[in-house]
Amino acid sequence: MKILVIVSCFVAAVFSICVSVEAGAETADNHAHKTSQARQNPDGTIEFGGEFKFQPPPPPWEFIQGGDAGGFAFGFYRKDPGTSRLESTFFAYDEEPYGYSRNPEERAGEFLKRFFWASHVKVAVIERKKMPVLGGEGFVVVMEGKDPVKKTKVRSKVIFGKRGERVVAFYINQWRTDDGTYDLSAFDAFDRFANSLRFLRKSFYEAL
Amino acid sequence: MEGHQRNLYLYERFNTQVVGVSRDDVTTLQYWAKDLGLTFPLLSNVSGWLGIIFDVQPGNQPVFNRRTAIIDRKGVIRYVRDGSPDYKDILSFLKKLESEQERP
Repeated sequence: MKILVIVSCFVAAVFSICVSVEAGAETADNHAHKTSQARQNPDGTIEFGGEFKFQPPPPPWEFIQGGDAGGFAFGFYRKDPGTSRLESTFFAYDEEPYGYSRNPEERAGEFLKRFFWASHVKVAVIERKKMPVLGGEGFVVVMEGKDPVKKTKVRSKVIFGKRGERVVAFYINQWRTDDGTYDLSAFDAFDRFANSLRFLRKSFYEAL
Repeated sequence: MEGHQRNLYLYERFNTQVVGVSRDDVTTLQYWAKDLGLTFPLLSNVSGWLGIIFDVQPGNQPVFNRRTAIIDRKGVIRYVRDGSPDYKDILSFLKKLESEQERP
């Protein structure tokens, strides 16, 4: 018999629309008045919050810290050449990716149900495979999507790995107009970032 | 709510049951739970009396404000927070309650 009860009062309709991938994001400019949790080491690596260490991509990538309300922990943004503000690339590390399973492959299925949900993009998965991530089991999904109304497209890659018992994720979104060309070198920068990430201490959940 | 689902294995370790309470009807909650993959109980309280008990019922509106409460084994409400659930705060509080119960 359970001895404690959590009662969570909620409205289903409100939660059903809270699915923007970049919710909670703060640009470097917006974040300027808050204390940054990032510190650059002499070797060029960045330590974030005393908890993560990683190799940042070179300029013009701009470091972005996630908002207090959740979403990704930190990431990088780049405005890409083109006439539209839309043409850009963003990648990030997320401690709480959509879904709940503690198996990376199962989590990928849950994640994809909500990824891009609010953007009305029609997404096609072009690659799914198991691979080692963060020194353990992992799963990778590459997809491309199109918005026929806005005449835009996006290429994304999501890497699921484990931190302790829980699944964490890296993801990249590159937006283009529908006649634009993807810059796959950004995906190489993303892979280098993901491969470089190290944990400097146990997570909240591991220490609980 | 997805965060609660993510933390069910930890709630289990703290001998805790999570319950969602909403003024949405049963059909809406069934659809919603299935879509999100929620496996813990969601209570439909269309009449809203639970909202009055937990003081989350705004006047003349058919919704509850968002609030999280933790009730201990004696039925005492030990934790109340408004807004979206702060899952780390909830888990930290459960750990604190567990340590209280371990003390003679």
